[in-house]
Amino acid sequence: MVAPPDNDVLWARALHFTHNDGSPALSGVSLGVRQGEILAVGGPSGSGKTTLLRCLSGLVPAQRGEVWFNSTPVHTMGPLARERMRRDRFGWIDPVPALVPELNVWENTALPLMLRGTSRRRARTAAQEWLERLDVGELTRRRPHQLRQAERQRVCIARALAPAPTVLFADEPTAPLHRADRAHVLRTLTTAARSHGITVVLATHDAETAALADRTVPLLDGRCVRTVHLPPVQDTEGRAACSLSV
Amino acid sequence: MLALRLSRVAHPAVQLRRLAVAAASAGTGFLLLCTFGYALGEPEHSGAAVLRLSWCAVPLAATVYLALAVARTDPGTRPRPGLSALGLGPGRMMAVSAATTALACSLGSLGALLLFVQLRGGLRALPLDGGAARVLAAGRPLPVPATLTLLVLVPVVASVAVALSLRPRDPRRPAAGRGYGRFGAYGTAGARETFGAYGRFGARLRSGTGPQAPAAAEGARPASGAAGGRTAVAVPAGPAPGTATVSGPADALAPADGPADTDREDADGPADAEGLGSEADPHRPPAPRKPPAGLPWGVAVLAAGLAVEAYTSRAVTLSGPALSGTRTGSGPALPGGLDVGSVPVLVGWLLTTFGLALAGPGLTHLCGRLLQAVRPGPLRLLAGRALMEEAGRIGRPLGVVCAVLSGTFALLVLGRGPASALGPLTALGTLVVLGCTVGTLLTAAVEARQDRSATTAALVRIGAPGTTLRTAAGLRAAALLVLFGPLTLVVAYLSALPLAP
Repeated sequence: MVAPPDNDVLWARALHFTHNDGSPALSGVSLGVRQGEILAVGGPSGSGKTTLLRCLSGLVPAQRGEVWFNSTPVHTMGPLARERMRRDRFGWIDPVPALVPELNVWENTALPLMLRGTSRRRARTAAQEWLERLDVGELTRRRPHQLRQAERQRVCIARALAPAPTVLFADEPTAPLHRADRAHVLRTLTTAARSHGITVVLATHDAETAALADRTVPLLDGRCVRTVHLPPVQDTEGRAACSLSV
Repeated sequence: MLALRLSRVAHPAVQLRRLAVAAASAGTGFLLLCTFGYALGEPEHSGAAVLRLSWCAVPLAATVYLALAVARTDPGTRPRPGLSALGLGPGRMMAVSAATTALACSLGSLGALLLFVQLRGGLRALPLDGGAARVLAAGRPLPVPATLTLLVLVPVVASVAVALSLRPRDPRRPAAGRGYGRFGAYGTAGARETFGAYGRFGARLRSGTGPQAPAAAEGARPASGAAGGRTAVAVPAGPAPGTATVSGPADALAPADGPADTDREDADGPADAEGLGSEADPHRPPAPRKPPAGLPWGVAVLAAGLAVEAYTSRAVTLSGPALSGTRTGSGPALPGGLDVGSVPVLVGWLLTTFGLALAGPGLTHLCGRLLQAVRPGPLRLLAGRALMEEAGRIGRPLGVVCAVLSGTFALLVLGRGPASALGPLTALGTLVVLGCTVGTLLTAAVEARQDRSATTAALVRIGAPGTTLRTAAGLRAAALLVLFGPLTLVVAYLSALPLAP
């Protein structure tokens, strides 16, 4: 095993992954994520973006290939070590805001900090700061069911950013939002990440979203592609053949 | 057919739950048949037979309760969007659910019939043949219609209960009767606000902590404060106190109610403005359930039950052996060795059970509230809030289990007097009731866990350690045990007082 280059905080080589039902997800993906950059993983739905993020963040072990995080091999770690690394170093944003419905907004935001052992008071202060920064500071005492989808997603982003992770994985964070909300949420996310030097791996199928990133890795059918030569869009295929002209 | 096909390929845990339903149904069916055998054997004691038959209502209720809980947790019969498009919507799934329940219960009834016939000496080839021929009136032929009626009782009642509880409901709320226009001109303001309701303690607090925005609450508070001061002055001075108090709040409520209502619609989003619940927005977290309100009623009913029992015990001891002597006579004896004079004791027990079932959710909610009080860390926060949220689901079966355990404990351990002679059928009935209630509690816990699985998965994704989640679950169970264990013992001790010699 060769240790990865030093400037890459996260580094994957020849990742292969097959789902439980046998459908292929990743076939030989290699990429490196540099310190402090925002990397977009592009591609249409079903091209393996989510699986790649799950492999990189240690949620699922890679079946073949290597994943290195700061010169530590992730692919050889046990589940407990991966869990600890995820808690201490990584942040995760779901496509759908998944908050704990019984906790109010600031408790949700402070939860990862408290799970790391920060005291309640300091966790609350940090959560409050991040909520203010993401324009949901006045909602801190509400419960998730009283918020709109965009507000919930912003709370999720605050929750992911509050513990100051080394790498933040965002799996299509703006998928369920309208375009105005989408732009706002993305801008706050990228600004916060840049100002705090947080590396972001962003899965998106949207070219506009990918434009906010430093670099884009396009995925197609589980492979990294540099240039995609899709066939030109024809006239609606098969219409002439199927028409019932009598 | 579809129900059969769906139930054949289920997970072993689901099959185990269905098996529990079948076993409970078998136990209840066997008890019913034994009552029938008693009635066949001793036609002159028809009153005693009816009494025994009415005792079977308790295991029957417990069985139906278990079947209901199992049907609610059955993953195979949950409405799914994909199946809905195929024509298996909520209505059809309700039918499948009822059919599955009927299948499990019928299997149990069949087993009960086989055992009954075997014990009467009908099946020659098997062991235990005719083991209880004398008790079960083996000499007489078994009337088929009556047997079938008794055997069909459990499946039919359970299926109907399942179908009723899982019937598809309209998520739209009925339109609230809200009047616009001149205040009081249509009589709505006076109907909503009864005399003295305005100044009642907590009436204004509740309107501020509802699902409104904090801004609305801030808007409401100064208005209510000003109105309160005005009514306090107006009531003693005005010529007609009733009209003064009614018109005062109506004036004051109008500005406070307006922003609150608009803000609530605003906060709930367009989904609720159209009158649809969380069905319209699958990503929206469910609104928290209201904290259970049955605690005072439950405590009152519980106290009444205990008082009835204590009073009965005093009456029995005062009246002496004249009343309790009937037990030794040839008259009908209640199962479990209780004498006829102890019917009020049974009433007391029923009241106690009802009270505990009513108070269970409130007590569970209280437990969760205490668990997350005073600067909670993540562990207590997760454990306590989840307990508060699940209070309605967990609390009721827990209260029932508590009541049944206390009753059994009182019968077996504390009441060494007349209750020491438990017959085999009473033991079977107690076992069925105990098993059903404990099974219902466990199934409710499974249901709560299924309901929270998405939240748990999200917590794991943000890096919550599995040990924390497991410890939180253990903490919940321990807190419930700490609260309900002594409660069970106390209730058992108090309800055993009339049984003491």
